[in-house]
Amino acid sequence: MFNPLEQQGIPLDEQIRNWREMDVIPIDPDDADPYTRCRIIAMNGIETEAVFFDHHFIRHCPDPEVRRQISYLGYIEAQQQRVVNWLLPGIPSALETAIAYEQVAVDLTAWVARMEPDPYLRQAYEFGVLEDFDHLYRYANLFELVERRKAEKVVDQLTEVMPGRPTLVQHRHPMDNVRDPYDRTAVSPLSKLHALTITATEQQTMNFYMNVGPQYMEPIARQLYQEIALIEQEHVTHYESLLDPGETWWEMLVNHEYNECYLYYSFMQQETDPRVKAIWELHLNMELTHLQIACDLMRRHDGREPAEILAPALPEPVTFEPNKEFVRHLLATQLDLTTLGAGYVREQHERFQQMQQQIHGGQKPPSERVIDMHRDKFGEDYRIEPEGAHPVQTLRQ
Amino acid sequence: MPEDVVDLLLAQHARIEELMREVMRSDGIERQERFEELVRLLAVHEAAEEQVVHPRGRQLDDVGEAVIDARLEEEYGAKQLLAELARDGTDHPQFEERFLALRTAVLMHAKREERYEFPYLTWELDERSRQRLAEAVRAAERLAPTRPHPGTESALVSMLAGPPLAVLDRARDAVREIMDGHRRR
Repeated sequence: MFNPLEQQGIPLDEQIRNWREMDVIPIDPDDADPYTRCRIIAMNGIETEAVFFDHHFIRHCPDPEVRRQISYLGYIEAQQQRVVNWLLPGIPSALETAIAYEQVAVDLTAWVARMEPDPYLRQAYEFGVLEDFDHLYRYANLFELVERRKAEKVVDQLTEVMPGRPTLVQHRHPMDNVRDPYDRTAVSPLSKLHALTITATEQQTMNFYMNVGPQYMEPIARQLYQEIALIEQEHVTHYESLLDPGETWWEMLVNHEYNECYLYYSFMQQETDPRVKAIWELHLNMELTHLQIACDLMRRHDGREPAEILAPALPEPVTFEPNKEFVRHLLATQLDLTTLGAGYVREQHERFQQMQQQIHGGQKPPSERVIDMHRDKFGEDYRIEPEGAHPVQTLRQ
Repeated sequence: MPEDVVDLLLAQHARIEELMREVMRSDGIERQERFEELVRLLAVHEAAEEQVVHPRGRQLDDVGEAVIDARLEEEYGAKQLLAELARDGTDHPQFEERFLALRTAVLMHAKREERYEFPYLTWELDERSRQRLAEAVRAAERLAPTRPHPGTESALVSMLAGPPLAVLDRARDAVREIMDGHRRR
């Protein structure tokens, strides 16, 4: 049992790294373990959230002493982000990285859905998995179309590539993207970590697509990024609305730091690349100190014991592993779901139809055209289906 | 529809990458076969780029001399590595280490072409010009088969057994002849 509250980390004034320490050697550009790449991308999302959370904290906090402390923490988190994301090599294209982002979205969200104890929260993750799963299929087709490479070289056969809930119908009315939050006083501590993790990684996915999309010259590539970046906007709202807005800034800070400890600890357990593993271990040892500082701030300003809101020990480590059967089960049972208010329905209700008309304007969206273009050029769409034909008859090749 | 040169070069890059992965993942006779296929494809592909594609890139304002010179230098470096590997064979104790260096050099070279040269071929050349360039690349490929055909193995063996750069020189000469033919037409 690993309880981060009882561990000693690296003293804060020893945490700033010099250029030599920042200059990490990236993973192999062509033959890395796909799940090592997934862990890097996921952790980058977590650190990016940490950086922006600290910035927002400073904008909202009137206490100058606390602002200076958060500035210090934020700087360390920024160095951590720069190190983690710089583990990605420069050779692969942005599209190759986008495919890896979707592999993260599928296998991380699927794991979280499988482990989530609360049924309402679990439904939110199950719902989202099928959409990112479809993005993976659209980007994989774009990849072969514009770069002539096959997505299998990125995802291997760990994650299948085939249609999910079509991106076309993922454009829901923004009012239907807001879920009900969990109750911070009643929900399991694990559920809080799950919501924070998926919010952070989807947010990074949104940031990535909305920033790299225009760097493509091919019109279909530009358009597909634009479309999927808008779905990610919906996803960020979908997941962030699960977080209890009644959490205090101190409580949020503790949850953030605790979650970072949880994920570094988790990834350290399964890492296959020894150099990357050493970074997870180093960062865990830094985060343990950040957590202590956050806990002290919470005690001082909230007058509460952090242990009241945290689990007595870290939950089972988050694991990147194939979720093919789980995803196939969701495809067979939840493909036609959409949202209405804070819940889920199977009918294409009025507000949904209104949104669909507004956004599509009677035309095929890029996510459909990319498949048409791939079929025109190669005779069929691109898929990876090692477990057999698509579980939904109408979506078979 | 006639082939576009950028599309063709991208497909060759993808095939080269696949072959490099196959070399890394195999051993014994299979590794040797994959490696020989890779040598042939790289030789033909680089020769075609040098003779057909880069001269055209050099004339484009957005690509220019410096970018092409840098690509040629990379190609020269990769060819040295390739020649050493071909000379010593796949059984050499340092094959993997040196092959990995070649692979990284080839991957970086290909990506630089894809970022700093190919988009401008698409952007600045008309469709017919791009198709003509593709024809020239294809003609080069026919002269030096990229897959082992029955009966050509011995020729390949002698090619690889000769001076290591011979295969590369032969491919280059073949492409030069095609290009001269194109210009005379």
